[in-house]
Amino acid sequence: MWKVCKYTLLDLARNRFAMGYTILLFAVSTGMFMIEGDNTKALITLSQVVLALTPLLALVFTIIYFYNQYEFTVLLAVQPIGRRSIVLAQFLAVSSALLAAFMLGVGLPVLAWAPGAVGATLLVSGAALTTVFCAVGAWIAVTQRDRARAVGIGLVTWVFLVLVYDSLLLWLMFAFSDRPIEPLIVPLAALNPIDLSRMLIMLRIDLAALLGYTGAVYHQFFGSTGGMVVSLLALMLWTALPCWWAVRAFARKDL
Amino acid sequence: MVIGPNGSGKTTLIKCLLGLVRATEGAITVNGTAVSSDPAYRAAIGYMPQLAEFPKELTVEQLLRMMNDIRGARTGSTDERLFAELGVESLLDKRVSALSGGMRQKVSAVLAFRYRPNILVLDEPTAGLDPVSAGRLLDAVLRARREGATVLITSHIMEEVQRLGDRVAYLQDGRLRFTLAPETITSATGESALSQALPKYISQLAPHDVEGL
Repeated sequence: MWKVCKYTLLDLARNRFAMGYTILLFAVSTGMFMIEGDNTKALITLSQVVLALTPLLALVFTIIYFYNQYEFTVLLAVQPIGRRSIVLAQFLAVSSALLAAFMLGVGLPVLAWAPGAVGATLLVSGAALTTVFCAVGAWIAVTQRDRARAVGIGLVTWVFLVLVYDSLLLWLMFAFSDRPIEPLIVPLAALNPIDLSRMLIMLRIDLAALLGYTGAVYHQFFGSTGGMVVSLLALMLWTALPCWWAVRAFARKDL
Repeated sequence: MVIGPNGSGKTTLIKCLLGLVRATEGAITVNGTAVSSDPAYRAAIGYMPQLAEFPKELTVEQLLRMMNDIRGARTGSTDERLFAELGVESLLDKRVSALSGGMRQKVSAVLAFRYRPNILVLDEPTAGLDPVSAGRLLDAVLRARREGATVLITSHIMEEVQRLGDRVAYLQDGRLRFTLAPETITSATGESALSQALPKYISQLAPHDVEGL
């Protein structure tokens, strides 16, 4: 398994898109800090970009990379290596490459301009989102035969989680505003990894103005530390489950 | 030797054997290990697919080194005869994406024989190879058989089948119609060349008559 991981990483190190992604993140982050005089404000803007951009790119990159690796995957599948090891190794390699890109592109500028608790939270949630959407991407890529269809499903998933889901929650809260709906909203928000990451950052910044209504409810329920622990656990689950599904689907797949 | 019309299930049979495709029913064992249980059984198999596909960014040398690493082969323990005979040396610094179909087929053949497998599975091995290379590959097959390897080959070329096969399995629509020695087929029809004998023999078969199982 480690050998598969090693060769996939070696291939990724030469991947132009991964390099471009690193440079793009670096340019966005440094640009943000240079334009905005107030580092906290820059950090908040940056977190909005990170929350939207990292899931999208992790998802699309993982899906496309899995399809491009098809020949290698088949070559490995006829060697004395288990299917589980192959797909897990590929997931590990892709997620660590994207994590490295994120840490270089966003981590370095954040450490340079705004080190501290908020910056650290931004990095942790960005990293978590990268891993989560890598796992989701792997799952989609393994279960779909057609590349274009897989990318399509990936994009729909992203739009749904980044935009539609929040709107639905708001609508729900509005529709049932005369009833105590909050206990229901909290677990619902925890179901969406992007919402969860947003919570992580918001709870740390403690800026009511930036909290969506969901955020306000969340804050009220968990307070800072408790909410953080639950969020991190939920994000781990969001990585583990799709990953497990991908492994299971791949073990049964006809290559 | 496995023969049969296009789409009769030759490649699917091989893919089931290698665990690439799951059989819908029944169980396959290789050297006593069920295909679905432990991937380690594949260490005994050298496989040459019909169309060889490799990671495009690698050079042939990197590919060979990577396969050594994955197979856990120590340098010096590999079988380099086919490597020399097919002239793969001159391809070493080429990228896989720059190779022609035939060149890729040569690399694929080298990989199949390299780790001294007990079982060779070759899916139309000579398709796309020039006659000289094809001849050398077939010689290597005979050599491997003398050294005690089991060889499973699919082919449409009856000269090949007659030369290499001690048993010929005929597949049609996913069913095994017969398994016979090439000589049995030729003597049954009175033709000396299998290419003449086989069509005659098949036309005599009743639609779902299974023989020689």
